[in-house]
Amino acid sequence: MTTTLAPRRRPARPGGTNEVRPAGRGGSSVGRPGFVWALPASIFFALFALVPLLAVAVLSFTSWSGLGDPKFVGLKNWEALFDDPVMLQSLWLSLLFIVLGIVTQTPLSILLGVWAAGNQRNRAILSAIYFVPLLLSSAAISVLWRALLDPNFGIPGQLSWLFGDGNVLGTQTGAIAVLIFVGMWQFTPFHTLIYQGAARQIPSVLYQAASIDGAGTVRQFFSITLPQLKNSIVTSVILMVVGGLTTFETVLILTNGGPGTSTTITAFHMYQEAFRRFDFGTGSAIALVLVVISTAISFAVVRLSGYDKMRSSLEGL
Amino acid sequence: MNQHGWLARSLAGGAALALGLTMAGCSGGSGAASRPENEIHVAVYGDAGNTVEQKMIDTFNATSDVKVVLDKIPGAEYQSKLQTIIDTPTAPDIFFNWGGGSIKNFVEADLVLPLDDFIKEDPQLKDAFLPSVFETAVIDDKAYGIPMRGTQPVMLFNNSKVLADAGIANPPETWDELLDDVKILKDKGITPIALGGADRWPTLMWVEYVYDRVAGEGLFQKALEGDTSVWESEESRKALGMLRELVDAGAFGTNFDSVKFTDGGSPALLASGKAGFELMGSWEYATQQSSDPQFAAEVLGYSEFPKIEGGLGDEDNLVGNTNNFYSIHKNTRYPEAARDFLKLMYSDQFVQEQVGIGNLPTTTNTEKFLDNAADPEYAKYQFNLVKEAPSFQLSWDQAYPPEATVTIHTAVAQFFSGQIDEAGFIKAMQSL
Repeated sequence: MTTTLAPRRRPARPGGTNEVRPAGRGGSSVGRPGFVWALPASIFFALFALVPLLAVAVLSFTSWSGLGDPKFVGLKNWEALFDDPVMLQSLWLSLLFIVLGIVTQTPLSILLGVWAAGNQRNRAILSAIYFVPLLLSSAAISVLWRALLDPNFGIPGQLSWLFGDGNVLGTQTGAIAVLIFVGMWQFTPFHTLIYQGAARQIPSVLYQAASIDGAGTVRQFFSITLPQLKNSIVTSVILMVVGGLTTFETVLILTNGGPGTSTTITAFHMYQEAFRRFDFGTGSAIALVLVVISTAISFAVVRLSGYDKMRSSLEGL
Repeated sequence: MNQHGWLARSLAGGAALALGLTMAGCSGGSGAASRPENEIHVAVYGDAGNTVEQKMIDTFNATSDVKVVLDKIPGAEYQSKLQTIIDTPTAPDIFFNWGGGSIKNFVEADLVLPLDDFIKEDPQLKDAFLPSVFETAVIDDKAYGIPMRGTQPVMLFNNSKVLADAGIANPPETWDELLDDVKILKDKGITPIALGGADRWPTLMWVEYVYDRVAGEGLFQKALEGDTSVWESEESRKALGMLRELVDAGAFGTNFDSVKFTDGGSPALLASGKAGFELMGSWEYATQQSSDPQFAAEVLGYSEFPKIEGGLGDEDNLVGNTNNFYSIHKNTRYPEAARDFLKLMYSDQFVQEQVGIGNLPTTTNTEKFLDNAADPEYAKYQFNLVKEAPSFQLSWDQAYPPEATVTIHTAVAQFFSGQIDEAGFIKAMQSL
């Protein structure tokens, strides 16, 4: 706050106001942002995030189908939730989706991002092509892949050595593989963008010094690029975790949670309970579970990675 | 922070509080008084059929002071949207539905206007429609809906060219003939029956028909009324055993769980000759026609679901969508205008327009206009099926309230793919 400006502050005039006049800032008399500056965002956040969250918390203790008034039922929804085999399975599936998503997308997007940060020939054109999936809506992507994966008239029908009878979406393994693949196709460009930006920020002196010391490209990548990208990796992984927990459209359109309930992840289970079974109480309880889990995971990732200390990766340069 | 900060903070706090209070104030109040003046809103399932609905509204608005407004809701989310708005001040005055389970919850929540008084004044509101169809929207002996589109019985469609090439002269009339045909086609390397298993409701059609033929329409009616013991009955087990036998015989191939009807997958199997049969609602014809008119007119064949020897159900029973209905919201500001609008649903103009777009209305005067249909032979065949059917069972997923749909769909899909056995299916149906 004002203390940072203290060394430059002129002595207060006798009897004058306690005016702050930071020198060299165009003479502006505005101090550091106060509470008022955050007000629009705070109100927005309260109205569209906190209020609905509270409403969901209240709804999770009621039985409500959207008709009439919600009926208070105590812990009934919560008890039912812990006995619901689909719910427990959905949590495991969500976890699996997150882990597989991170494992497949992170290496690929780091490599692509670092490559895209360079100045090779044709780089701009190829990067532009790689980013196309980012411009498509999830629904469009899902419909597209659904059609491409039709067992009789799509890719599997042509590549029977790989897909067998083409029943890709009819088995649990196949359906999960498809969802992970489509997620990778869809989201890798976004994470590539994060790594491209971060890789461009790495000072070139580090590489120059390394090559003088005789380090090759691979050594430079592991000893300079990767450590320098640490904060970006944390950011990217948190986004993947939260995104993975709320994946929904691709499941709805590609597998509809099936075969059976084999790909019913938690977010889809929530939709199904609330908007297909019209059991908004149970749906709200699942929503709260999702909020708690995603908050806990984000918190854990931030803590474990030291991201909360916000240490610059450029210290000492 | 200086004084200005504190002042601004308290002002903003007050503003936020006021905003919250205003919003709380807005949410109060419902009922007729808060509805728009001289307007009736009609919510319909948004699709190609809306052109006729709009024409009927234009006809009505030409002479009425209260104007009807059509609100089209995208089809796939229709039921979700309707249930979310129906108990709010923005609920429609008249709304599209499937009768049966689709309005049962609304009737129980006292949101739907019984039409019996209107019918007493104008008996045509009931008598102008085929009874088996009208019954679908009768709950506890009170009428709640007027049929407003076309009937959609489920039939066994075939590719007549594939059948002829395989030496099958006629579509199967009995279950045993069907099993024979399955074997013949399978031996020729053709998927005997196209099934959009990923959509799940096409699978349900097989279950509905086999249950109806084996156990008669009574079994499902009892289950619907709450007697879940019928699912354990001998007939129920027999029906499941026959379905299992059909699946295990390779009737649907091995990859039906990855095939959809809704994205054109299973109709293409039939049209391209990769499959011999498809059990589907009467819209199969329109679906095939839109992609290949010549195939629909010359090659596409259709027949009733085969009869099952020793079964308790009548061989002429049908399953499917009996029709769609218009129901009136209890809080409507203009019930008389809504009634007058519904009277158009048995007018000659309505029937002609519906027949013109390939729908088959279920009024008693429909027969007069069937010669104007795109394919009069197909229209007459269907109309006679519906007229002669001793029972026309509404699809199970429509007969039960919407919250049962997920359970039913999951159970039939898992039973067909072998993830659950007979006991698992029975348990799932008993949980409803």
